Amino acid sequence: MKSLRKILLIACLLITGILFIPLKGNSDNKDQCVECHTSAKKLIQITREIAKTKPPAKSAEQEGVG
Amino acid sequence: MEPLAPHEKLFVDTDFIENDENHGEIPCSECHGGDPNDPNWETAHKGLSKDPSYTDPEKTCGECHDHAGENYKNSLHYNLKPYHVLLDKRANPDKKVREKLNSAMDTHCLSCHSSCGQCHISRPNSVEGGLLSGHFFQKKPLMKQTCTACHGSRIGEEYSGSHEGLEPDIHSQKYFMKCEKCHTAEEMHGDGKIYNSRYDVENGPMCLKCHEKIYTDKSKARANHSLHKDKISCYVCHSQSYINCYSCHVGKDKNGISYFKTKPPALNFKIGLNPKKSLKRPENYVTLRHIPIDKKLFDFYVKDGLTQMNAVPTWKLTTPHNIQRITKQNSGCNNCHGNSSIFLLDKDVSSEEKDSNRNVIVPESMIPVKQ
Ligand code: HEC
Ligand code: HEC
Ligand code: HEC
Ligand code: HEC
Ligand code: HEC
Ligand code: HEC
Ligand code: HEC
Ligand code: HEC
Repeated sequence: MKSLRKILLIACLLITGILFIPLKGNSDNKDQCVECHTSAKKLIQITREIAKTKPPAKSAEQEGVG
Repeated sequence: MEPLAPHEKLFVDTDFIENDENHGEIPCSECHGGDPNDPNWETAHKGLSKDPSYTDPEKTCGECHDHAGENYKNSLHYNLKPYHVLLDKRANPDKKVREKLNSAMDTHCLSCHSSCGQCHISRPNSVEGGLLSGHFFQKKPLMKQTCTACHGSRIGEEYSGSHEGLEPDIHSQKYFMKCEKCHTAEEMHGDGKIYNSRYDVENGPMCLKCHEKIYTDKSKARANHSLHKDKISCYVCHSQSYINCYSCHVGKDKNGISYFKTKPPALNFKIGLNPKKSLKRPENYVTLRHIPIDKKLFDFYVKDGLTQMNAVPTWKLTTPHNIQRITKQNSGCNNCHGNSSIFLLDKDVSSEEKDSNRNVIVPESMIPVKQ
């Protein structure tokens, strides 16, 4: 009985230990997609850069309704 | 519709990431690709998929939403089958010409497909895209930002009554119904069957399914309804005038940007013979609309592209979204009986289109006589 409890205890520690590794990993290297796409400031800056090089989306020759 | 400001299109709400327990926790790169560890946006976006639900809806969404995922590739929003079917009929059979037509179709027509994302996450490309609301997944597609961003010039304007002198659709005007009240998730996601025409879709709405009582004493127009049951469609009595288009040309400008040109449409109302009779659609008389097509549609790319123009009618079955209880033509029996001006007659069809529309033109002898 006692040894079973010990095994369970060790198993528990092992499992929680394993679970902690990826959690820790996550908070260390931040997802750059989230960093940028949740910052209006950064997006404004980048979209201004892009706008300089991009042609207009609609042709000036378009006439009427589609 | 005004496009969104460039940064608004791309702004993801932290609430979405933290509180949408179904989608917010999935790493961005699992759906979109790219490199989440690279702080330089240009290189981080290498290999990125802007719309992961178009390239592979089964994988991106279908893993968790089996029904939508499985059927979707056969839905008309995804496969645009009717475009191909009609081009097959109208196109010049010559192989070289056909290749040029196909590439013109790719540029001008086939980009109008709708992915899961274009109904639930982003605005469609036709209005320059951008997130609907901070990347939240919308349970009900927003009517104005999604549905009528694509179905705008006909359906959107008719439904909201933007044409001068015409009322909105009664379902909108008085009962505030949005598209999805009639066009359900099941219809929008497809039922797995492949259809050649929008009007073949089996799980689409039908007036009678919601208005069974019109042949009973509960209806003020019971006699009128019963007299014409299965003979003329609901639209013949209940829709207002609608737009008809008579030309369309496509091309690319000097910057390589594609454009189209259409003449101003005409508001009109024309009753014709039913070209698509079936159990679901048994009527002899229906409303018809002239569609924006022209023999010279693709001339910019290749001459003589649509040599078989006459293979299919240019006046087509239509179901205008501008229903009213009382209309000009139903407010008196003889606003319709004996009133040849609202029927599509031989003289209303241009000479080069007469042959293709023979089966829908109403012969004088078939105009119902004065009551
Ligand atoms: C479950 C898959 C999925 C996840 C996870 C996901 N997206 Fe998206 N995202 C989509 C789809 C689908 C669209 C719609 C694209 C369209 O309709 O063109 C979209 C649209 C976008 C758009 C707008 C594109 C446009 O111009 O309309 C941006 C920006 C974006 N996602 C960024 C992100 C970021 C940042 C994350 C992580 C926080 C993320 N996405 C997570 C599937 C996903
Ligand atoms: C990891 C599983 C998963 C993936 C992948 C996923 N979803 Fe979901 N989604 C869910 C769950 C669970 C719900 C909540 C239950 C439901 O409504 O089916 C949900 C709900 C939704 C809803 C209803 C939103 C609401 O507020 O009720 C929409 C719309 C939706 N998902 C669209 C999508 C689209 C489009 C994609 C692909 C870009 C996608 N989902 C990918 C699991 C997922
Ligand atoms: C043409 C627009 C359109 C497209 C494209 C579309 N949907 Fe929907 N979707 C709807 C409508 C309309 C509803 C029903 C909204 C309501 O009445 O609540 C809906 C509802 C849903 C729901 C909520 C649960 C349900 O079934 O009612 C989910 C999940 C969903 N869609 C996922 C998807 C996925 C995944 C795709 C791509 C495979 C997709 N949708 C493509 C229009 C669309
Ligand atoms: C990205 C553009 C786009 C968006 C967004 C869109 N549609 Fe469509 N829809 C189309 C195209 C294109 C077709 C025609 C396919 C064909 O005939 O080849 C179509 C076909 C249809 C059909 C007939 C075929 C069928 O499957 O029943 C209905 C009904 C419809 N759309 C309703 C809607 C509704 C309601 C919404 C919003 C929930 C919507 N659409 C959003 C482009 C769009
Ligand atoms: C009161 C019900 C109702 C509402 C609300 C409704 N529709 Fe329809 N819609 C119909 C019916 C009925 C048909 C004809 C189906 C048939 O005969 O097969 C139809 C057909 C269509 C078609 C295919 C035929 C065509 O004209 O291209 C499209 C696309 C469509 N609807 C889009 C929409 C959009 C977009 C909205 C919202 C702005 C909307 N509908 C709102 C009932 C409705
Ligand atoms: C999804 C169900 C649905 C569909 C499909 C539908 N309707 Fe309706 N309609 C309603 C509802 C609900 C009302 C509100 C009054 C009521 O309850 O009868 C209404 C109201 C009306 C009215 C106005 C009655 C009044 O109060 O003035 C007319 C006319 C009408 N519908 C005709 C049609 C026609 C014609 C079609 C086919 C193009 C159609 N409806 C398709 C649900 C529907
Ligand atoms: C021959 C013309 C005609 C046809 C065809 C017709 N209706 Fe009507 N309908 C009327 C008139 C006229 C009224 C208005 C009665 C009144 O209020 O005085 C009406 C009223 C209605 C109403 C309001 C409620 C009621 O019953 O009074 C609904 C709903 C309706 N029609 C649905 C339909 C549907 C669905 C169809 C197709 C199956 C249809 N109608 C076909 C002429 C017609
Ligand atoms: C908007 C057009 C329209 C209106 C309004 C209309 N009808 Fe008709 N009616 C028709 C058409 C079209 C036919 C021919 C149907 C057929 O033969 O398939 C018809 C057929 C008939 C028939 C012949 C049925 C038969 O097959 O012998 C009678 C009777 C009739 N209508 C009476 C009326 C009366 C009475 C009214 C007014 C209360 C009325 N109609 C309003 C279009 C209309």
